[in-house]
Amino acid sequence: MEDKNINLNFFESEGGFLGAKLESRDAGHAPEGSCGTYDRVRAVRLFPFTDPAKYISIRVGNETGEELAVIRDIAQLSPDQQELIRRDLELNYFMPVINKIISIKDEYGYAYFHVMTDKGEVKFTINMGGNNVTKLSETRLLITDINENRFEIRDIHALTPSEQRKLDLFL
Amino acid sequence: MILNFELPQDLRNLIELADGEEIYYTLPIDIDEHSIYTRDSFLVVTNRTIDVIMHGKIEKKLAIADCKNAKAHAHVGQGLLTVDHNGTLTLIARYTHGHMARYAYIARGINILASGRSEHVESNEYEAACPKCGRAIPGTARCPHCSGENRFFGTLKRLAKPYIPQFLGIAVLMVLASVTTLVNPVIQRHLVDNVLLDENPSKSAAFLCLGGIFAMSVGIVFVNVAKSFYSTKLGARISNDMRKSLFDKLQAAPLSYINDRRPGELLNRVVQDTRVIREFMENSFCNLVTVAFIFVCDVIFMLSINVKLALMAFIPAPLVVVLIMLFRKNIHRRFHLQWHKNDDISSNLQDVISGMRVVKSYGNEKEESEKFLRFSNEYCRVQIRNECFWAVFNPMLNFLMGAGIFIVVYFGGSNVLAGEMTTGELIQFMTYTQLLYMYLNWMTNLPRQLTSLISSLERIDDILAFDRIPDHENGVVGEIRGQVDFEKATFGYRSYKPVLEGIELHVRPGEKIGIVGPSGAGKSTLINLLMGLYEADDGLLLVDGKDIRTLDRKSFHSQLGVVLQETFLFSGTILENIRFARPDATYEEVIEAAKTANAHDFICRTPGGYDTYVGEKGYNLSGGERQRIAIARAVLAKPSLLILDEATASLDTESEYLVQNALSKLTKGKTTFAIAHRLSTLKDCDRLIVIDGHTIKEVGSHEELIAAKGLYYELLTAQLQMQKGS
Repeated sequence: MEDKNINLNFFESEGGFLGAKLESRDAGHAPEGSCGTYDRVRAVRLFPFTDPAKYISIRVGNETGEELAVIRDIAQLSPDQQELIRRDLELNYFMPVINKIISIKDEYGYAYFHVMTDKGEVKFTINMGGNNVTKLSETRLLITDINENRFEIRDIHALTPSEQRKLDLFL
Repeated sequence: MILNFELPQDLRNLIELADGEEIYYTLPIDIDEHSIYTRDSFLVVTNRTIDVIMHGKIEKKLAIADCKNAKAHAHVGQGLLTVDHNGTLTLIARYTHGHMARYAYIARGINILASGRSEHVESNEYEAACPKCGRAIPGTARCPHCSGENRFFGTLKRLAKPYIPQFLGIAVLMVLASVTTLVNPVIQRHLVDNVLLDENPSKSAAFLCLGGIFAMSVGIVFVNVAKSFYSTKLGARISNDMRKSLFDKLQAAPLSYINDRRPGELLNRVVQDTRVIREFMENSFCNLVTVAFIFVCDVIFMLSINVKLALMAFIPAPLVVVLIMLFRKNIHRRFHLQWHKNDDISSNLQDVISGMRVVKSYGNEKEESEKFLRFSNEYCRVQIRNECFWAVFNPMLNFLMGAGIFIVVYFGGSNVLAGEMTTGELIQFMTYTQLLYMYLNWMTNLPRQLTSLISSLERIDDILAFDRIPDHENGVVGEIRGQVDFEKATFGYRSYKPVLEGIELHVRPGEKIGIVGPSGAGKSTLINLLMGLYEADDGLLLVDGKDIRTLDRKSFHSQLGVVLQETFLFSGTILENIRFARPDATYEEVIEAAKTANAHDFICRTPGGYDTYVGEKGYNLSGGERQRIAIARAVLAKPSLLILDEATASLDTESEYLVQNALSKLTKGKTTFAIAHRLSTLKDCDRLIVIDGHTIKEVGSHEELIAAKGLYYELLTAQLQMQKGS
């Protein structure tokens, strides 16, 4: 944890969400007024693409969602605390990574994808008119479908040549 | 938008309905507890219970009576539906973006049921993909594919109705063109067989034939010119009429309809889709009947001349069609890619040129050069590859297209040598074969053009078929007193993201209301509702005790004065801009209004006075001057209800003083809603409301709110400290 003077303990709240207890080790240094027990906090990734496991902002789970702390690396936490945060991240982020392209059909301005992701097999449709395929880097792609679902391809070169050829139209 | 999906029969049997219980909503749950896609999980809401079916088994069954405060949360890539079940926040379902809006409606539906009422919520939003065929729907109510050719021809017929005489005229020309094309080879055969190959050829007969061929050749030119001329004219007229009716319809449509669509999309419908229709008329329609007519007659003639030879000539046809289709698809892909790469270059170039100051000041020229070179090389590589492909395959395809003729020449020639066929017949036959393949090529293009026509027609029809909101002619016509009541008004631009929730506010006539709150809290949204630009999703908004939806819009808006942060001046003179609200105002009235708005003096200083041309390319007015023109516009309208949205936010101190001064003259005795960031500008307000977290947090006078030491107090002290600091 960044600030040595605060102590943040996570627990599972009654409904199964992430709760946290914030207390100060040194009365003079605690963030003013934010000490206490929170039944619902949310874990937010600051670098969801470049470093999803680091720099996790812990925010109160209400409308304003003020920040309680930033965790630099969840690996520094105890295993059960890590597990609690991972579970909350699962509820906050759903970003399937495409591992295999089964087929891409293009028909009159729309492309119909049938792919295998780390979250299972899925079919989705993108509009070919807009900028719905974004290059995050030379090899990394972000695809946004007509419903605004987002799919990631981590490394296009890891796909087979025939899969890459199917993607050609969008590169 | 569908809120009650069909449950598979085996799952349907899991739901045991009590007496008087019925299923209200059924939605797929498409993310399971392990964050994996699922296809056999559903949420079923009856008027008594919430049932969660996971992987084909009932996992949760909550009595609606125990639930309250159902909420659809929009997270990254997924949404969560939660309810407050006996005081515990409980996760009900996880779903992807495709169901986000549906769950927002369901949450509202559950809350309605939980409050003891029994009405259904319905959604007017369109589906993004067709539930029947799974194809994407191009922003229309119906799927162009599934609504079928029947509907397409229905739409076409309806839209084409006013132009029937023109269509008939063109059809006659088309038939004429095809007859000429088909008769020409007949004369050729006659020339060869009966004149040239005659034992003693007669010159006059030869000239007669030649004359016939010549006359036909010239005739077909005239017919084609006339055909193209009238088709083009008709196409331009149809698309013009459509543009006009589209524009009228768009202006009549509520703002929510326009905001639901991307601005570019509506622009495209008016500009692009009507162009598609015109182009279709020009390029395809004018040949459609001709080609179909020729093609059918051509085949019949060929068969009648020599069945065996005709069948042989047809053999390569399917192969040629398939090859052309494949070739086109490939070419389309290749050039699409090339276009993409070209786009990369342009956007990179635009990035760098508009950011040149930053690039130079950070000394990043070299990196940017390298980046540009990479894009440029990539484009070059694709371009070379594509041009090579074209150069190699296009001639091959052309050769194949002519393959039918080789068969005809070989076998037909043998027939002629064997005396089974005359030379003239062979020549006639060859001409028909050439025609056949020529039109075959043309026809393979047709499906693509027809589809784009169907899509365009569907998109146009979607707007044209949109019902105008009925204007309530018998609404308020008299003067508005200015009493405004919000009763539990709830609204969101997107159904799954409410911006305002349960707004309760009662304003007396003549009261000045200041609206404060952090950016994005919903201040401007509140005002948009009041202006009648959007309608509340839930709850009521009353003006003088009458529902705002029932007011006659024209008479309501004519009594509304609006000054926004960014004043929009139309291209035109200052006079025209001030007169915008009341085009019949006299010069005296305009000058009077300008004086009230402290605008008269600066207008006099401009070279053209009140006739100075302003707007996009006109005389450059400062922000304060534009604001004062907007105020003059509002003064002229003699409004009974005033709306000021950050009217002085972007002004310097002196202009602000002038504008404030003008505003206080304008708002005297009128119901006023004013939004301001600088709280000092709101000191004249009778009451202030603080909006935060989608709802009204505090209401009261300046003094009351300071005494309450709440949000307003915090905002005020923060601003005072900032002023001290600077």
